[in-house]
Amino acid sequence: MPIPRILTDLEAQGLLPPAQTKAIVEFEQNRPFSIHYELRALLYFGITLLAGGLGVLVYQNIDHIGHGVVVGFIALVVAACFWFAARHRQPFTWGEAPKASLLPDYALLLGCLTFLVLEGYLQYQYNLFGNRYGLVTVLPAALFLWLAYLFDHRGVLSMGLTALGTWVGVNVAPLSAFSDESFLRYGLGEAALGLGVVLMAAGLLSEYRNLKRHFAFTYLSLGSNVALLAATAILLGGTAAHLPSWLMVPLIFTLSGFLFWYARRTQSYLFLLMGVVYSYIVLTYLLIRLADDSSGAWELLIMFYFPLSAIGAVLLFVNIKKILRIHAD
Amino acid sequence: MPIKAYPTAWARHDAVRAAAARWLKQELITPAQRTAIDAAHPVDYYRPNIFLRIGLFIFTCIGAMAASGTVAMVTQFDSPAAVAVVYGIGALVVLELAIKNFRHYHSGLDNVALYTALLAIIGLILYLYFKSDYLTQPEDLFFGQTAGGTLLLLVILAVLAGATLRYADRLVAACAYFAYLALTVNLLLHLPPGRLLLPFGVMLASGAAYILQDKARQRDDFFYYERVLNVIKLLALFTFYLGGNYLIVREGNAALLNLPVSTQIPFAPVFYLFTVAVPLAYIYFGLRQANRMMLLVGLAVVCFSIYTYRHYRSLLPPEIAAVIAGIVLIGLAAWALHYLRTPKHGLTAVAEDDEPHFNLESLIVAQTAHAPEPQAPGFEFGGGSSGGGGANGQF
Repeated sequence: MPIPRILTDLEAQGLLPPAQTKAIVEFEQNRPFSIHYELRALLYFGITLLAGGLGVLVYQNIDHIGHGVVVGFIALVVAACFWFAARHRQPFTWGEAPKASLLPDYALLLGCLTFLVLEGYLQYQYNLFGNRYGLVTVLPAALFLWLAYLFDHRGVLSMGLTALGTWVGVNVAPLSAFSDESFLRYGLGEAALGLGVVLMAAGLLSEYRNLKRHFAFTYLSLGSNVALLAATAILLGGTAAHLPSWLMVPLIFTLSGFLFWYARRTQSYLFLLMGVVYSYIVLTYLLIRLADDSSGAWELLIMFYFPLSAIGAVLLFVNIKKILRIHAD
Repeated sequence: MPIKAYPTAWARHDAVRAAAARWLKQELITPAQRTAIDAAHPVDYYRPNIFLRIGLFIFTCIGAMAASGTVAMVTQFDSPAAVAVVYGIGALVVLELAIKNFRHYHSGLDNVALYTALLAIIGLILYLYFKSDYLTQPEDLFFGQTAGGTLLLLVILAVLAGATLRYADRLVAACAYFAYLALTVNLLLHLPPGRLLLPFGVMLASGAAYILQDKARQRDDFFYYERVLNVIKLLALFTFYLGGNYLIVREGNAALLNLPVSTQIPFAPVFYLFTVAVPLAYIYFGLRQANRMMLLVGLAVVCFSIYTYRHYRSLLPPEIAAVIAGIVLIGLAAWALHYLRTPKHGLTAVAEDDEPHFNLESLIVAQTAHAPEPQAPGFEFGGGSSGGGGANGQF
């Protein structure tokens, strides 16, 4: 085994005294084999099987037990989850609340998921919200965002932001999902772009105002991805309803520039990678559009642009610490 | 030229630093000792953050593709073989330079350079093969009964195995393993009873690979190949099971004979036994020998065994079976979590991070024997604060 070999080496180098290496070897040999995560995985798997099986059974026997019972049962699960999470809630703070244990976090997540099931069931069976689809989607968005701040839960925050995105989409183009036309024609692209920028602003605000600062990453990564994806789709699709698509070029470069700045500030390489990839896509797209007209430009592009730009990007990544003046590792 | 492309110290330093970090967390060494160990085992290679590695991977791929376009344009597609040779040599030069001069160590860039070189070499081999008159049936290239296919597989396996020995890359190692299995199948199909022997051949080959990688762990250069050996171990465990799985054997047999519907196979009871026994053996020995990978593969293939059974016989309606299985699993896991709160039979349900730590204080005090501090109790095994996060300052 490698561990005794490492220890012998360390002892020979004089980095560890012999008595200590002996104690470490003994500790390593007598250390019990932890199957904690395996057992937990089995537990979750069992819960999933049980819940799935029960769900199918309920569905099959719905004539005997009736919708009211089903709704009552799901509502009970939602209430139990939220009650359990609330019982273990830490007092609210704009900072990061200390975590007491994992279980209430999972209960909150499960409660939110079953809330969606409950809402869907009510709408499907009783048509509770009628055709007010905006209301159907804004309700979970508002609830989840409130819960995320109340319980300091980043998973629920992501769910809330996703629900918010659905609400925006439903409001802009209620029927676009059912039509075979390009969804961009209904202005969904602009809506997504707007949502992304708003989320990015919210992220910056939470960081600068110190309002749940650890939420900033969720806001910024979600927001910048949505905004850049939407802008790229508008640019490549070229069918924006309101904005001219060329406007996307400076916009993407600006957003990428912001990501570089933010990556440098927080030393987060994810944002750097996103900025580089999106601006590379736009740059390449522009050059290909320009090369369309003149003959011979294609050869030049393939001969010089692709190899040189790839080398440039590699050099950028390799020397990133010097370029961004990041000192700490 | 030495066989290994990267200095072996890089992998060894990594292993020592990882062990020291864990020991510090378990309070087996002091922070000062860890600092000294880290200083004696510096990271003197280049492997950046995962996102930068992804970026390097993407842009080296773009560069490699652009280079292939350039080479092809310069040679005007006159000779594909020449393109492959130039391209392969170019990729190898980039790879070796990146390692020698820029100390890249699985940074994304050297990975892509290696894959590019291997694609060029294997592409060249395939090109030469298809140009020669050796070819008989291209659709049955690897599993037809042609000597050419065997030769081709042998050459590809030699290239991939050589590259694995030199560069210790996991993806290349996995490809080499599959080439090895394909060669086994190809050789067996040359024999008249080959179809019957196929499952046993695959199991034997997988078992041999497992034993070989286990033996290789004793070698001095273990650290250099650790990740490669783990890949081989994982694949060998899976292919050993799949080789004896009833569903795979029955459907594979039908596919080889071009049957529309699979029929009962010879030696069926043997395969029933393998399908049941192999997962159970994996789980048992995984637990006994503290072999986590074997345990996890065992848990995964138990599911496949159950699927195999239900594919041919249905015992209970699925929803009833799911409810019963769910109750059994929840009960079993809850019982084990409770029963193993304190270590029993060398097993524990406590997460590794939450395990009671060895207390170094007494040892250090006894060693240096000049500090008049009160001695802390030596070992703190047992005891049960299993809930809650790890660092609560208790230790």
